Amino acid sequence: MAEIEFKKVTKAFGSNKVIEDLDLTIQDGKFTVLVGASGCGKTTLLRMIAGIGPATSGQVLMDGKDITDLDPAKRDIAMVFQNYAIYPTMSVKENIEFGLKNRKVPKEEREKLIKEYAEVVGLSAYLDRKPGTLSGGQRQRIALARAMVKRPKVFLMDEPLSNLDAKLRVAMRTELIEMHNRMQTTFIYVTHDQVEAMAMADVIVLMDKGKIMQEASPEVIYRDPNNVYTAQFIGTPPMNVIALDDDKVGFRPEKIVLADRKLDNMPFAREGVVLTREMLGSETQYKVQMGADTIMVKTPNDSYKYEDKVVMNVAAEDLYFFDAAGERIRRGDVSNYDEYVRRVGG
Amino acid sequence: MSDVAMKQVFSQRRRRKYRNWLVSYAMVMPAIFFLILFTLYPMANLIQISLFRGSAANAYKSYIGLKNYEQLLFVRTDFWNSLKQTGIYTAVIVLLVLGLSVVFAVWMQDNRKLNSIAQTVFFTPHLVASISCAFIFQWLLSKESSGLFNTVLRAFGLPSWNWLGETSTAMGCIIFMNTWKSIGYYALIILSSLKSIPLEIYEAARLDSSTKMRTFWKITLPMLSPQLFMLLITITTGSFKVFDSVRIMTEGGPGNSTQMLCLYIYEYAFKRNNSLGMASAAGVLLMVVLLLITLLDFGSLEKKVHYQ
Repeated sequence: MAEIEFKKVTKAFGSNKVIEDLDLTIQDGKFTVLVGASGCGKTTLLRMIAGIGPATSGQVLMDGKDITDLDPAKRDIAMVFQNYAIYPTMSVKENIEFGLKNRKVPKEEREKLIKEYAEVVGLSAYLDRKPGTLSGGQRQRIALARAMVKRPKVFLMDEPLSNLDAKLRVAMRTELIEMHNRMQTTFIYVTHDQVEAMAMADVIVLMDKGKIMQEASPEVIYRDPNNVYTAQFIGTPPMNVIALDDDKVGFRPEKIVLADRKLDNMPFAREGVVLTREMLGSETQYKVQMGADTIMVKTPNDSYKYEDKVVMNVAAEDLYFFDAAGERIRRGDVSNYDEYVRRVGG
Repeated sequence: MSDVAMKQVFSQRRRRKYRNWLVSYAMVMPAIFFLILFTLYPMANLIQISLFRGSAANAYKSYIGLKNYEQLLFVRTDFWNSLKQTGIYTAVIVLLVLGLSVVFAVWMQDNRKLNSIAQTVFFTPHLVASISCAFIFQWLLSKESSGLFNTVLRAFGLPSWNWLGETSTAMGCIIFMNTWKSIGYYALIILSSLKSIPLEIYEAARLDSSTKMRTFWKITLPMLSPQLFMLLITITTGSFKVFDSVRIMTEGGPGNSTQMLCLYIYEYAFKRNNSLGMASAAGVLLMVVLLLITLLDFGSLEKKVHYQ
């Protein structure tokens, strides 16, 4: 169990500063997901914690202890890599055992641990096989077992599911959540997939270009985004954001009520024409042309067809206002919040 | 479908099959032709000549059965001597070249400017004809005052030494020259497979508290094993057939101390009278020895080689 703290951390590759003066605290025992588009610096942060890509300046603390330049072997952390990084020349057992041997764990204890964790990941029957003869999912399990067997204080995962097929990915997702519930250690998980982040995280840290856009629980990130970037990164499809004079207004596709007319108590009510219709089962997703903008709508109402005229209604509490720079304008931030709501009505 | 139409379809099919067969054989024909002309025919010829007494001008003077083999294996001692010298030479070369190639490859692994210069420097000797290299080394090792090695010795006030003319150093000099010449080439082969090892594996090893030495022995070396095994076989067979450098630098001397098998064969074939058959018999025996060594390599080591 450990808390990780970044203090004014900067990382540069040559003259290219990927991260600059970043402060972040990752809470003890929580499942934290670092999420963002590729190149946002999330993996760089993870590698700093692991000690395999040291910070250019600043400090990384673990439980208050400076580990910025500490040897990775002495950090009490384990990492699962995107392409597994298992040792191809070793059997499954040797893979799991390698780190234990290096740390001079006695043989009986090693055997006991290997048996225990091989069972946890469901590889007991494959201990003598070479990784090359196993499937992608099984290889990922080797990597998990190898990391778990160290019983680390911090568990790092760098897009561990991205090489698996869709079905297996969803199955492994729940397994990882269970694993975290059982182990109760600090999990730090890197992904570019917001669905994965929403599904697994206790805390999401959303990053863009080396900056933290928002750090909050999935519920808060979804319901109360700090800026346009966060609002549009999270959600499938992402939040609709349209211009409102010099500012912007956003609303989630699933909060739009489709009707033939303007509904009562809905400050936002605008007309559009259905461009596409995708029936997803319990819900239907429409793409609606509204003036110069296209709006995504996700609703249980499947009665509209291609080229139908619809009125999109949104309640006041489902409207999000952003200033020109993309920062959120909340009710408390400005004295004339109701003015914004009124302006939406046109 | 009528009978006639059926027949037509079948004959068409047969014709197509025949044509496919013809085309595929035509494709491999050139390779087979050259294999027969330059490998199988000379091999059969060699075995045939080894059963005769004769010279280069008239190879089949008189049939003497296995007498040549009897001479080589049970009567003369010089064949066994040259087999021994060649064996020693090969063993040392294999260990030195493989070992040093791995060392140099590991050293040149990082992408530094110095390393790309080093790669070129190490590789250059491979581009020079080995006869030229042999001449250069003959000059460097010359017992005369012009020799570089002796010049250095003299600078330190030491007596000069007849490097190629002394039994104790002649073999060492040939080994040194050939190691120097081939190391860059083999190091480059190993370097390319070193660089194909994913970096994450090394990072995982660091997180697994592995020391650098342990990572090398337990991860790097096993991952290089296919290349090392391939090089072991090519270097072994190549060294057994060493000729040009020995021919130039020592001509088998002093005494018989650097009399390698190929030089032995050459001398019996072209420098002595009526001993072409004996040379051929030695050639056949060399082939058998190489075959045995290769089989032994495969039998004992292939299980340890990790193929991806």
